[in-house]
Amino acid sequence: MFNYRVYWTFTKKSFLRSSVYRFDVWSRLGSNIIFLLMWGSIWTALYAGREEAGGVGFEAMLTYIVVSQFLTGVNGAGTPLWEIQEKVRTGDIALELMRPFDIPLRYLFADIGSVAFYIVTALLPLYTVLFIFMDLALPTDWLTWLYFVVASIIGFMIRYCIEMSFGLLTFFLVETGGIEDIFYFAMSLLSGSVIPLWFFPDWLATIALYLPFQGIYYIPNAIFIGEIAGAEILVSIGIQLFWVAVTYMTLRLIWNRASRKVVVQGG
Amino acid sequence: MLRYVELYFKLVGAGIRAQLQYRFAFVMRIVGMITAYSGTAITMWVMLYQFQELGSWNFYEMLFLFAIAILSWGFCIILFFHFRSLDTYILNGTFDRFLVRPINPFFHFMAMKFDVAAFGQFIFSIFIFIWVSIELGIDWSFGKFLFLLASIVGGVLIQGGLLVIISALAFWTTKSEQFYWVVMYPARNLTNYPLVIYPKFVQWFTAFVIPFGFVNYFPAAVILGKETPFFPENIGYLAPIVGIVFFVIAYYIWMLGLSRYKSTGS
Amino acid sequence: MVPIIEVEHLMKDFKIAKRETGFAGAIRSLVKREFITKEAVKDISFTIEEGEMVGYIGPNGAGKSTTIKMLTGILVPSGGSVRVNGIIPYENRQKNAKNIGVVFGQRTQLWWDLPTIESFELLKEIYQVSNERYEENMATFTDILGLDEFLDTPVRQLSLGQRMRADIAASLLHDPPILFLDEPTIGLDVVAKEKMRTFIKEINKERNITVILTTHDMEDIEKLCKRMVLIDHGQKVYDGEISVVKDRFGKIRTLVVDLEESDCILQLSGGKVFKEEGNRYWIHFNRDEVSASELIAQITSTHNIKDLTVEEPEIESIISRIYQEGFQDLPNPVKV
Repeated sequence: MFNYRVYWTFTKKSFLRSSVYRFDVWSRLGSNIIFLLMWGSIWTALYAGREEAGGVGFEAMLTYIVVSQFLTGVNGAGTPLWEIQEKVRTGDIALELMRPFDIPLRYLFADIGSVAFYIVTALLPLYTVLFIFMDLALPTDWLTWLYFVVASIIGFMIRYCIEMSFGLLTFFLVETGGIEDIFYFAMSLLSGSVIPLWFFPDWLATIALYLPFQGIYYIPNAIFIGEIAGAEILVSIGIQLFWVAVTYMTLRLIWNRASRKVVVQGG
Repeated sequence: MLRYVELYFKLVGAGIRAQLQYRFAFVMRIVGMITAYSGTAITMWVMLYQFQELGSWNFYEMLFLFAIAILSWGFCIILFFHFRSLDTYILNGTFDRFLVRPINPFFHFMAMKFDVAAFGQFIFSIFIFIWVSIELGIDWSFGKFLFLLASIVGGVLIQGGLLVIISALAFWTTKSEQFYWVVMYPARNLTNYPLVIYPKFVQWFTAFVIPFGFVNYFPAAVILGKETPFFPENIGYLAPIVGIVFFVIAYYIWMLGLSRYKSTGS
Repeated sequence: MVPIIEVEHLMKDFKIAKRETGFAGAIRSLVKREFITKEAVKDISFTIEEGEMVGYIGPNGAGKSTTIKMLTGILVPSGGSVRVNGIIPYENRQKNAKNIGVVFGQRTQLWWDLPTIESFELLKEIYQVSNERYEENMATFTDILGLDEFLDTPVRQLSLGQRMRADIAASLLHDPPILFLDEPTIGLDVVAKEKMRTFIKEINKERNITVILTTHDMEDIEKLCKRMVLIDHGQKVYDGEISVVKDRFGKIRTLVVDLEESDCILQLSGGKVFKEEGNRYWIHFNRDEVSASELIAQITSTHNIKDLTVEEPEIESIISRIYQEGFQDLPNPVKV
């Protein structure tokens, strides 16, 4: 039985807990701004005064980067990988297994709490100001906004499932450093978070299109600036849903193996 | 002085042996670092696939810029990276052990760790140097090579100096690790790309306040013969001196912090 | 006898910044802070002679470790003077460091990931111990402390007892005339504690090393030291022989009796039941007011005693009583 109340408690708790670590919030926001400055400068320099490149206008491209950096902030506020590794290392995971809830879901709901706190207190104020003062191409109809929000949320879930799956590898490997780096690389490049897929060499774009990462940043960003429009939007969201299903099933599979390992070997 | 050099190698040797106890983790870290840096290099390549140039720097020039940063950062990890966690040492009381011994505490703390996993940085950056030198046909005269080495030393001192200053903050604020992640980590990422693309105040800041521009941008501009708008030509030659000055300042800040620690004990 | 440690009117104030939370607080605290002054050590004077073994005790936060830190040169005093083996520690920290050995029971000073022997070799270099002296000391310590059973084991794999043995040997490698021991037996089992105490006694006697011991384990003090310095709230409240305190505060004895029946109500003049378990009763009495035999006689008049013991007061309970009852009643500090 799915008991909403239990999971909702985790969300509330982690929302409140986040307010205690204010230094954390500010430092995240600080580095988010610096990275925004960095990618904004890089794209300004790449366009080098041109009005458009590869069929995409400069204003739209800048918007892409700002939105992407916003979503990076959202996704970066949840830390399932780090947390689950800590639990496995300290052996606390065995304690959690005795509790009457599902662990991957418990972390998802806890994540939603801290992400919500970060969005409300830091990201929304900052990016509202940016959108007001910068020349950015905002969607004009509310439906695009809606699609963007939906695509972002699905993107968040995809990222969560992938990150959690990587985190669970801690159960099987003593040191996950190298694998983690591959994951972070894939997350930053193949997701289109800093370079949109249309600027990729064709072969790489093809690879990226067949991987789940594009669902995290590329699809919501492109919807926002209208590069994905019309019927394409629904197709893209369909692709995202497909990847949520696949990554979620992968996560469950890995989790089943991992938890069995704890039960059998005592962590 | 000679005694300290000898002692440094003894202490550092112990550090290496300690690390080699975890061989698998050691190899994985090297693999991880090479992967991460290759990731950045690939990102640069994809970025320039369509655009060819970033602020008049082409792909190979950017790789060169990147490789200088990585190489000096590699030495920095070896020598100074553990400085950022001074706050933990102070909080759990282990820092006092450096103060009950008859040697300079800065030296003792510095020699405590020696992170050999920085081999990842060396393998990566040396590979890039060779590749880029061939692609760009850089003519490595002895003087040029010497200048590269000197500016690597400068870069190590600048980045090491910043780590030392960040660690000294722990003497006043009881925080240091977090300052690393807020200040230094983003700053390092910023300097992976030619400074010329950033707003003027950022360029100014990275040249004169936290002199990260001297880690790779200015020296690379000298070696590759690139222009550095807004700055005097060949300003890069100053890199080693900037490094020494910055590090000396950092050392005195650290010692000042230590004397404060001794009078407050917190 | 020569005083090896002289402490006069030692004071240490801490300005404690009011904790500001958050990033803004941390930044603000760089510029401006509000302080509360806390006097950790108010006015402490004592001298310790060469070869003495002194227990330096007090409740948590009394100023024990602050004093030790000033003696080891880690902290600079805010007033008064300290001299350790003729040296002012905070002015000449490195020279002082060669004269002292320090063991922090809770934290090792050994290299965590390395075989134990390597820590000794590194400390030999740090303290510039000559080869002969190193060999001699290692031979002695190996002999008494049985170091050889774990010299090749990484420190992180040692048991707590082994680690403490290694730590104390490490602190003595450079033949310091003075040894500071901070909770040297904490967490050890009875056997390991006993071993540790024997060793401390031995090096104190044979090498005439002056030992300053801070501990919560009163048995350590009782078994090792003749003299104790008791501090509270940054001030010295007692300095003298342990036996004096024991006499003064040790008048309350405990009589433990096993009766044939349980649930008895014992009405005794001069004694008070403070605990009962089944048919066993614990009775406090003041030996100045009533003797044990008088009490026993009172009990046997109404009940049958199966077994009995009279318990001597432990210094531990004495100290805790001193803390509870205040220090006014303490005998005037006597110099031993």
